[in-house]
Amino acid sequence: MPIKQLIKVALKALQTNKSRSLLTALGVIIGVASVILLISVGSGLKGYVTNQMQDMGSNLIMVMPGDIDLDKIDPDAGGSGAMGSAFSSMSSSKLELDDIKEIEKSIPQIEDAAAMVMASSSVKYKGESKIAQVIGTTENYVNIRKSDFEKGSFFTKSEVNGGRKVAVLGYKVAEDLFGEENPLGEKVKLGEYRYQIIGVMEEKGGQGSMSPDDKIFVPITTAQRQFDQDNISLIFTQVRSSDEVSLTVPLVEEVLKRRLDEEDFTVLDQKEILSTVSNILDTLTIALGGIAAISLLVGGIGIMNIMLVSVTERTHEIGLRKALGATPEVILTQFLIEAIFLSVGGGITGIIIGSGGALLLSKFMPTTVTLWSVMLAFFVSATVGIVFGIAPARKASQLSPIEALRYE
Amino acid sequence: MTKKNSVLSLENVYKIYQMDGVSVKALNGVSLTIKEGEFVSVVGPSGSGKSTLMHIIGCLDIPTSGKVTLEHHQVSKLTERELAQIRNKKIGFVFQTFNLLARTSALENVSLPLVYNGTAESNIQEKAKEALEKVDLGDRLEHHPNQLSGGQQQRVAIARALVTDPAIILADEPTGNLDSKSGVEIMEIFKKLHQHGKTIVVVTHDQNIASQAQRIIKLKDGQITE
Repeated sequence: MPIKQLIKVALKALQTNKSRSLLTALGVIIGVASVILLISVGSGLKGYVTNQMQDMGSNLIMVMPGDIDLDKIDPDAGGSGAMGSAFSSMSSSKLELDDIKEIEKSIPQIEDAAAMVMASSSVKYKGESKIAQVIGTTENYVNIRKSDFEKGSFFTKSEVNGGRKVAVLGYKVAEDLFGEENPLGEKVKLGEYRYQIIGVMEEKGGQGSMSPDDKIFVPITTAQRQFDQDNISLIFTQVRSSDEVSLTVPLVEEVLKRRLDEEDFTVLDQKEILSTVSNILDTLTIALGGIAAISLLVGGIGIMNIMLVSVTERTHEIGLRKALGATPEVILTQFLIEAIFLSVGGGITGIIIGSGGALLLSKFMPTTVTLWSVMLAFFVSATVGIVFGIAPARKASQLSPIEALRYE
Repeated sequence: MTKKNSVLSLENVYKIYQMDGVSVKALNGVSLTIKEGEFVSVVGPSGSGKSTLMHIIGCLDIPTSGKVTLEHHQVSKLTERELAQIRNKKIGFVFQTFNLLARTSALENVSLPLVYNGTAESNIQEKAKEALEKVDLGDRLEHHPNQLSGGQQQRVAIARALVTDPAIILADEPTGNLDSKSGVEIMEIFKKLHQHGKTIVVVTHDQNIASQAQRIIKLKDGQITE
């Protein structure tokens, strides 16, 4: 009997029990859709964080005040211990501007270094007002962070040295305060003082505190004076080439150890942070996918259950088919095809629903539908159909036609 | 009659079932020959072994011992798979309860045996339609069983039995679930088919039905009595 005919017979059998077929497939649909959706959330998050990190610039080494051990940032502890101490130590930092000058001078591999102090302040322009993060930094910040400008430019070395009251706005700050107006040359009030706007950064995208769009940049000297911060919250240094990054980290540590009494700082390289974060997010993705996979398994058991019930319920029909000339193999194949159609059909519907859901969800959070999750979900659902279809199909094929015909 | 005309022959056929450790001889040395074009009825009270005989004639089962020959095929030596193929090509079943697939049109029900023997798709419809026309249901092709009367359903079943042009049409109490008028109609169809040269075996406990056949085989306690 040609396979095409068999498929027709199986499809016809599914069609005569429409609502049962649909309900059976629903288990697989939900399973596959949730696998794809949850993995897309995990992958989207990872892609977003990786992007943000790479947007920071390349070959970066960061120096932070406080002793942070990246290995201690594990999900069990909620990460609050290490991260919390990192933030609290920013205010009690012992790093100073001279330390940066020393690093730049004594380590040849370091091409550039920028210091940062951070503070929150109100920003006012005419009637508009908002709270923004103010970053005091040096002129070479833009070289390291690879920033481009929408309008104007960054402040110069002489403006930093002179402690001038000039400001560069992040894209969103400019939009919120000025709308369509050109902010260049205008003055905004940061806390008590007026600053002249000399530039607007290009839009970088992203949300929350990570995004540079919601920040205001001023010369570090000015910021230290206004916000009464002698010490530095963060140092960015750029290494000449990526090969020299890991070799430069201990050199930076050495210089700082010489200058500071205690080891109250942490030197991090970008790759190390990236790999730690992406490890955490990979684990998260696998955990989410694993939870969803359980529902796929439950869907598979649902198929087996319904197929077994269906074999019992259709015993008479199977007997008739056998009397009319269906061989055991034909019956086996028919029931197997029915199970595969339920699971593959459910799988494809689930893929469509899961991908559509991910697309909808992407309006609120980063999601990426990965090819591997689609392939995985499809093959798992097909396998589920075969594995859980075999037992009922074998049972059906082995029924004696006489017994089956007698069954009412 | 010459041997060439024999469609089915049973030689000294035994069928023994084991029930709770006791051997039950459902068939106890049955020998019979059915010739081409014959209209035979098998009659006997319940427990006489007539169902078992029908299963063996219908190639649904093989005997414990003895020889069954259906058009040169040694049925008693076949596997389940080969039996299924023989049933498809050589036997046309008509059941007491019609056994049509529910929610499936008359045409599709009649097509089923053709689907199982791999008939080309283009021929299936045509052949099924032809068979339905032979039982005067040419105007009910797309009707589902629940839209047909008992007599009409049994006629669909007869069309299904005819469609593969089998060696034997084997009917098991074909009028048992029908009112007397429909029963008469069905028997008329069998008689007509017989006139067209079909070989027909009707298994029944009803003497009236049995007596309409050309030859009556009486069964009692697993043996042919006359």
